[in-house]
Amino acid sequence: MIQSTLSPCSLIPRVLCSVMMFLSGAAVLHAAPSASVVLPALTQPASAEHHVGKVIWADLVTPDVAEAKRFYGALFGWTFREVPGDSNYSLALLNGEPLAGLFQKSQPAGQAQQPAWLTFLAVRDADTAQAAAVRLGGKVLAKSHNYPQRGRQAILADPDGAMFAVLAAQGGDPPDYLPEPGEWIWSSLFVKDPKGETEFYKGLCDYDVYDLASEGESGAQHYILSGDNYARAALNALPADSKRRRAHWLNFVRVTDVADTVQKAVGMGAHLLVEPRIDRHGGRLAVLADPSGAPFGVMEWSDTDSKQEPQ
Amino acid sequence: MSKPVFRIWRVGGVGLIALLTLAACVVGGYGGDAGVGYVGGVYEPGGYEYGGWDGGYRVGPPRGGARPAGGRSAPSIPHGARGGGGHGGGGRGH
Repeated sequence: MIQSTLSPCSLIPRVLCSVMMFLSGAAVLHAAPSASVVLPALTQPASAEHHVGKVIWADLVTPDVAEAKRFYGALFGWTFREVPGDSNYSLALLNGEPLAGLFQKSQPAGQAQQPAWLTFLAVRDADTAQAAAVRLGGKVLAKSHNYPQRGRQAILADPDGAMFAVLAAQGGDPPDYLPEPGEWIWSSLFVKDPKGETEFYKGLCDYDVYDLASEGESGAQHYILSGDNYARAALNALPADSKRRRAHWLNFVRVTDVADTVQKAVGMGAHLLVEPRIDRHGGRLAVLADPSGAPFGVMEWSDTDSKQEPQ
Repeated sequence: MSKPVFRIWRVGGVGLIALLTLAACVVGGYGGDAGVGYVGGVYEPGGYEYGGWDGGYRVGPPRGGARPAGGRSAPSIPHGARGGGGHGGGGRGH
């Protein structure tokens, strides 16, 4: 009988061998998806353009991608496509053009964390940007990582703790044009130390910084970050009315009617965070949280060249 | 008792598996991020408030004419149509 011939000395290597085989198999399976994730280039055909500092992508992290697809599809007309190699990641498209990613991820139990949109800034070199961010007082949340076709990206936090990502797009950056309704049109950053943050982002993306605080009646610190002679983002002081405010990026989708969009979104389970209001560009904007709690903005933008400012 | 040649194969096999295990773990790498496929999503800290913007609080882009007294004129966002060449004028105000 075999069992009778097995001594403890011969059992140990066999058990050890089995455990190692199991571990190696599990580890290989665990590592495999990262190598096979295929994300399309941001621009097809490839663009020779590079617009450092431009917001070129956004990823939603949510515990319920199916719900997110239903919501954003109905609200903005987005369609969705799976990506090979990762069943948890889907692309959102408008008129066939990719404009965002939806990432399904379990929400950590017992921790106060919320779904969010992650803002991607264009850089020439993700590793250089990652090193610069650390040198300027930021943190690395996910080290630079390469995705064939899309490019190399890293997830960072600025000195105030606002999370964002940098992406060196392999096929070049999307060209500059006025976004259509349903596309991202603008991004704003809210921080506790606007002046200090301008230095961080200037060092990271070589922005031209415009101080517009003096034009506002509130007197709150307010800057415009520009690149290629275009406004790329706003940098605002967080309102000081509450201590429960955290530095964050906020991305806006262009819509034709903010009030209608808000009504529709709320009817589908969104929460209104900032009621429709007129901003400096003369159009309305509002801020919502999608049904999973991820904040995003909606903004009107007239095609006319009106310089009218709200009174 | 096993013959020496089988013992060598067994030791070699165990060693190879150990190496494979180590290599796979290294490839999986940093904080597990590479091991979960795409890593673009991060949850943000929760329990915070949004809004609180007073009447003069501005967050949108300038129209291309926003200029504080004595300051530089801030540019606006691109205005050209897709495929029509967004550059040209640069969106800068007066």
